[in-house]
Amino acid sequence: MSSEVFSLESQDGNAVGQSWKRTNSESKVMGTFRYTADLPVPKCLYLGVHRANQPHARIDGIETESAMAIPGVVKVITGADLYDALGENLFTGPAFSDQPPVAWQRVRYVGEPVAVVLAEDLATARAAADEIYVEYEFITPVLDVNAALEGTDYVHDELRPSAVFPDLRHLMGKRDTNVNYEYNLIRGDSETAHQEAPVTVSGEFWTPPTSHVAIENFSASAWVEENRLELVSTTQTPSYVRQAIATMLNLRLNQVRVRTLGLGGSFGSKMYDRLEPLVAAIAWTQKLPVRLELTREEAFVLTTRHGVAVSSRMSADANGNIVAATADVRYDTGAYADIGPRIAAKSGMVACGPYRIENAKIKSRCIYTNKPSAGPFRGFGVPQVTWSHESLVDDLARDLGEDPARFRRRNLLREGDVSPVGTVMHSADFIGCLDAVTEAIGWTDPLEKIEGSWKWGRGVAVGIKAVLTPTVSNAVLQLNQDASATLLISTVDMGQGSDTIMAQIVADVLFLGPDRVRVINPDTDVTPYDTITAGSRSTYHTGNAVKKAAETMRDRLIEIAAKQMGVSASDCKLAPGGVISSSSQRLISLEDLILSQFGAAGTTMTAEANFTTEWVPYDRTTGQSTKITEHWFAGAAAAELGVDTRTGRIRIRHLAVAGDVGRAINPALVNQQLLGGAIMGMGHALFDEIVFDQGQIVNGTLLDYQLPSIKDMPEKLTPIIVENPHRTGPFGAKGVGETGLIPIAPAIANAVRDAIGIRITTLPLTPEKVLSALANQGNK
Amino acid sequence: MNPRILRPESLADACALLSQDEDALVYGGGTALQILRKQGILSASSFVDISGIPGLNNLHHTGNELLVGPMVSIRRMETDPVVRESVPIASAAYAKVANPRVRNTATVGGNIAHGDYRLDPPVALLVLGATIKATSTAGTRAIPIDKFFIDFQLTALNRGEIVTSIEIPISNDVVASTFVKFSSLSANDWPSASAAAAIVARDGEAQILRLALGALAPTPVMTAVDITGMREAQATEAAVESAMLIMDPLPDVRGGVEYKRNLGRIAVENAVRNLWRDRQSV
Repeated sequence: MSSEVFSLESQDGNAVGQSWKRTNSESKVMGTFRYTADLPVPKCLYLGVHRANQPHARIDGIETESAMAIPGVVKVITGADLYDALGENLFTGPAFSDQPPVAWQRVRYVGEPVAVVLAEDLATARAAADEIYVEYEFITPVLDVNAALEGTDYVHDELRPSAVFPDLRHLMGKRDTNVNYEYNLIRGDSETAHQEAPVTVSGEFWTPPTSHVAIENFSASAWVEENRLELVSTTQTPSYVRQAIATMLNLRLNQVRVRTLGLGGSFGSKMYDRLEPLVAAIAWTQKLPVRLELTREEAFVLTTRHGVAVSSRMSADANGNIVAATADVRYDTGAYADIGPRIAAKSGMVACGPYRIENAKIKSRCIYTNKPSAGPFRGFGVPQVTWSHESLVDDLARDLGEDPARFRRRNLLREGDVSPVGTVMHSADFIGCLDAVTEAIGWTDPLEKIEGSWKWGRGVAVGIKAVLTPTVSNAVLQLNQDASATLLISTVDMGQGSDTIMAQIVADVLFLGPDRVRVINPDTDVTPYDTITAGSRSTYHTGNAVKKAAETMRDRLIEIAAKQMGVSASDCKLAPGGVISSSSQRLISLEDLILSQFGAAGTTMTAEANFTTEWVPYDRTTGQSTKITEHWFAGAAAAELGVDTRTGRIRIRHLAVAGDVGRAINPALVNQQLLGGAIMGMGHALFDEIVFDQGQIVNGTLLDYQLPSIKDMPEKLTPIIVENPHRTGPFGAKGVGETGLIPIAPAIANAVRDAIGIRITTLPLTPEKVLSALANQGNK
Repeated sequence: MNPRILRPESLADACALLSQDEDALVYGGGTALQILRKQGILSASSFVDISGIPGLNNLHHTGNELLVGPMVSIRRMETDPVVRESVPIASAAYAKVANPRVRNTATVGGNIAHGDYRLDPPVALLVLGATIKATSTAGTRAIPIDKFFIDFQLTALNRGEIVTSIEIPISNDVVASTFVKFSSLSANDWPSASAAAAIVARDGEAQILRLALGALAPTPVMTAVDITGMREAQATEAAVESAMLIMDPLPDVRGGVEYKRNLGRIAVENAVRNLWRDRQSV
């Protein structure tokens, strides 16, 4: 390992690597923490949304008279009203401009907004929304990805890619298709390699749509002030929202202000265009202050995780080397593309897993259906393809009569290897993660496999994901005369602890103690541009910008101190307590230094920095790129579990999860991210699922939509931090928000396979599914 | 619109309020009503909150009966030593309701009036042969528990009636009792199958196995099997055979009919196994 490279860093202020207490932990525990919906806003009219009860229909008429007759109702707004005011700008989205905030002419999913009531209070707004009557003309709905590919019914008449992306331009106006994006990876000759290989396994895999269910629900308020639009909303992408709203309303960026406070969870749900286009369009066109708060049931139709079908194949030679992989990946993106096209590409490129494979062929498609729009969800589509490749690799090992962990170990990508997508690997220690989790659960220890009706087994899986590239982060650091600091960034702390980590980075460079660095909540009038808080990118990207800003500040402090002491800057260094001169051993405190510099108490010094990453766009035919990503995430999970063959119930005795985080800036928070991801992944493995019937969600309430409870926890849950420093990470660090989730479901399914000898290819692994698989096995 | 909350201070006032407005509903702990209201499944002009009426949260042991007021919390049924001692199967079933936060708020009267086919306590009350007392302006009547659950989400309670007491017989004839519950999704979920069972001695040697099933038909259902002189295997077979006849599961996101029948069978098997184990240890 490159310890010399990092020896300089370790001389800094000792904050990095410490498990500092989470910022705001007391107020969160005491219930006094202020969430976005608590931010004071002007007195607003409340919005009540009338939603479509049809998956696909033409809107023939909207009857609003009875809603308007209710006392307290001020107005009813339809998609036509907004289209008249905004024209084609009404359609927004991060990749395709295909989604109106309120349906215009046509509805495309059950739950789509059709009309919006403005009323004096929330209850009246919601009650009046129920009184609206819509006349529909039925259009045949497209209800799943296979129907979408094979049928002749289309969700959209033509594709509407956003004009700003050159790689999507060729799709503009394309008709008679439900496929809005297709990514292809081609390397070597997979067909021949499959044919010549002695062992081939294949499968039809399915991961259902799931819901994020952040405990804090969605809210947004918007109003006009001095010909500017003010927006307060639960968003993890304030910079994106400012740009999207400015474009929609044809405003300058400085006419739109977006604010958010810390979020109570998000997991990708509060990203891109959620409530913001709706409240902004109404506030701006009506010149009225408006506020929208979703019910829990409405949150289920706002955005989902993609349901994904994968048809895949993998082959190995007689020596146990994987020689070929093929995958046809179909993302069910629902009625609007959202970020689905990017998900299809970013996940497609890792659909054959983190293995040395010379022959690979992947087709990954993003497909419209008449369902609620699917968007980003912790893992950005990767858990769904990991479900396929980690099941196949396991089967391949077993068919070869080899231990699945040893088989993976031989085939995993190593430092310096070229991945199937054409990029050289660095700082992605799959083997370290694999070894750590198998050792943790006692992989090679004897296991009593049958106890009464219970059968026991062990499984392992690895995961790979590329960080979003290219992206931009900025940081502005203000050092106050009393040696406290204020950090301005647009990273949103939604529970992952970014405010704590960024403060630690500043504190480490400038030798400040805990509580000396305050991180300002995102406010696009104040905090600088940051692409998004998502994709586990903040620690690395914003962290680098923050570190650069702090280092700039450090250099200026040294320069000023040298002048004040009459020595050269190279003679001085920053140390605990202030700047010290080596030759004179004189120390100037930061307080005195800034006081002398400006001659006033309470003065400030400001430093800023930018951190931008670049990539080499992938070849449109082969998907290959010499730099597809700035860095990789590597993780692994192993499970020891029992299957009750009478009830089909799965009980996890030990679940271990490891992630290569480069360097853990705050080990406690890293462990919590690994665990949180693992628990969420366990829900996806065992019972988390949105169930549809004819395009209608049938379990869209928290009574029927099940999340893991405390009683579902494994008997033992072990997070393991693997540190393989990244050469350009801040202190070697990378993110960890998704790493823990990605390999969980296949690790559990592989353990089930080990226990009962059955490969189940559709998630979740409900007791009913396990029992029916056992019954089928018995019948064979 | 939100219902008005009315807070009568006597049972007579509460009955009068309910008789004057047929869209008024009795409000106990509110854990079920509030969810159903928010989901738009039920609406009410007003909620008649009976928490301020003296005496409704009393729990009284008469020697051969446990008299439970409707405002006694589910949590108290779980934890009260008197309940645990005198009707352990009831205590066990109440202990399995939802989670501690709900159990602290939800009430015995509201639970039974809800009439949901998946609730835990009704199966225990069926096995114990409880009686429900319901009061309205017309007076008070006694409804045997086996006549209480009429159909899917429908009970024998009339509009205007308030559950004022649940009377649970305490019998020395109960040789052993048990409650078994299976959920198919999260461990904290509604059950997909539950079974309460008790062995009751009759006339010396004769023994009856009383068995009630939850979540396995549109209402909680009950059967009884004479197991006099049977060994465990025979009793299990007889219990399963009888139970399968009264199962009529509703398919939903928690599983299909066949799955639930299978789970019901296992719940009965486990229940009989528990009974035998407890009987041995007596």
